[in-house]
Amino acid sequence: MFDKILIANRGEIALRILRACKELGISTVAVHSTADDDAMHVRLADESVCIGPPPSKDSYLNVPALLAACEITGADAVHPGYGFLSENARFAEILAEHNLHFIGPKAQHIRLMGDKIEAKKTAKRLGIPVVPGSDGAVGPDEDAMTIARTIGFPVLVKAAAGGGGRGMKVAHTEADLALALTTAANEARSAFGDASVYLEKYLQKPRHIEIQVLGDGRGGAIHLGERDCSLQRRHQKVWEEGPSPALDAAARKKIGLTVAKAMQELKYLGVGTVEFLYEDGEFYFIEMNTRIQVEHPVTEMITDIDLVLEQIRIAAGGDLPITQDEVAINGHAIECRVNAENPVTFRPSPGKIQQYHPPGGLGVRIDSAVYQGYVIPPYYDSLVGKLIVHGKTRAECLMRLRRALDEMVVDGIETTLPLFRALVREPAIIDGDYHIHWLEQYLAGQQPG
Amino acid sequence: MARQPDNKANPKVSSDDSELIRELALLLDETSLTEIEIEREGLRVRVARNISIAAAIPSAPAPATVAAGPVAAAAGAPAPDFVNHPGVVPSPMVGTAYWAPEPGAKPFIEVGVKVTAGQTLLIIEAMKTMNQIPSPRAGTVTQILVDDGQPVEFGEPLVIIE
Repeated sequence: MFDKILIANRGEIALRILRACKELGISTVAVHSTADDDAMHVRLADESVCIGPPPSKDSYLNVPALLAACEITGADAVHPGYGFLSENARFAEILAEHNLHFIGPKAQHIRLMGDKIEAKKTAKRLGIPVVPGSDGAVGPDEDAMTIARTIGFPVLVKAAAGGGGRGMKVAHTEADLALALTTAANEARSAFGDASVYLEKYLQKPRHIEIQVLGDGRGGAIHLGERDCSLQRRHQKVWEEGPSPALDAAARKKIGLTVAKAMQELKYLGVGTVEFLYEDGEFYFIEMNTRIQVEHPVTEMITDIDLVLEQIRIAAGGDLPITQDEVAINGHAIECRVNAENPVTFRPSPGKIQQYHPPGGLGVRIDSAVYQGYVIPPYYDSLVGKLIVHGKTRAECLMRLRRALDEMVVDGIETTLPLFRALVREPAIIDGDYHIHWLEQYLAGQQPG
Repeated sequence: MARQPDNKANPKVSSDDSELIRELALLLDETSLTEIEIEREGLRVRVARNISIAAAIPSAPAPATVAAGPVAAAAGAPAPDFVNHPGVVPSPMVGTAYWAPEPGAKPFIEVGVKVTAGQTLLIIEAMKTMNQIPSPRAGTVTQILVDDGQPVEFGEPLVIIE
């Protein structure tokens, strides 16, 4: 087992990692920018090292500073959290070159799944259903049009180096295709340094359903059920829940086993999430995230497995905690990502939290690093915290969520709490009857279709 | 300031106390207790057996840990705050500070010398590369705030040039 873990992240996930380390008796090193001097996890860690000024590229993405921090503290492992360097295969390799453990998947799998075209080819090869599309990058316009016609309009032009909802353009009809191709390629080149694009069928009203997996790196892998993350704004998840209101036990078992088998073949190491679009009873692979995800608590609440703790144990050579047959999904969980943003305009609202009261009680969990008096810095994401609620049934969960949201106080900054208080009372949400465009339609004031 | 873990050789633990702790640890081993806590005359001692997680961690069982008194969040006495001193030269990087270009050589500076802008004050080493730290201005070295071989973090006060 590791002696000392350096937490290469900030905010709520850094605190989350710190908690798992403490429960395992592992020493913790918190690295931080000057903007995060007063962060909660920095205060709680055994040691802290300031690694740079506020900009991420000079601090949380600063590989030499991270390595130097490992060197002066004697850390033997690094947990990258999510975002930042968590899916940077080169970083994982550099750590290995310095005899440091990277708590995450094998570099080759990070690289494989980071290229969305290769990821899709791999998924297909492993028997995972994929979205109909071009078999690789599309070249000159004539190729693209032929392929698009085969797929059937509307089609989505996607950046091969994109992901996380970025770098996508819809072409509704043949007339839109040329422009969509050039715009997507240009944006991809400037955002990701790679102009390669591919085509996929554009699904009209799918749900976003993702499967959580856990692999031991030696061919053992299990799935831990799904999360429904259809409620998104600008491709950012806002509300996640599990199990999905749209799946029954048979559908869950079928896709879960397909995904688990694929991970066994890959000899996948650590946690990962295989993301699908789901429409008319069919699953379509979109991408795989080779890291711990923001919404991991949803799965933790319904399976009673500590995913971050398991990440660390498995990275240290441990076995899977249970067999597939032992995985039990109990009750229902919903997570709301509370952001420091205006609930209508979504304009960021950094600043000092004057009053803070997190809700409590049975089945209520807050994953947040804020506290009364904490100043949310303007340099990073706007997440205040995640409110995760569990109930024996979805109905009980919704009631508890309503109560918890009403009780939660975050004053001094604007937050999206009012949005969640409205959503939890919306008939479509209560019925579980929504899709990936629902939230944006709701926000635009239309009647969602 | 890079916080360091508490010095394990805590001078406050007397030989009486260590005898007590030894006895308690033996008691833990001999019985099926997982934790013993004793408090007397201003000293509180808790001896606990590390409980391994039910799904076996493939390593030897951890020895009983000893915690003496409340856990301190910050180690050591508070140092005078040089961060805002007008003459401070803060560290531009993370690494290990050295006074001299190599072991046994003469240090670059000492208290009282005058330096010019750009003159090397210290070396900070990270991952086997030596980085010379230049003085941002001309002046006199009034304080050297880091020890030879001390780990430093970004922004840590190194030297005062006035």
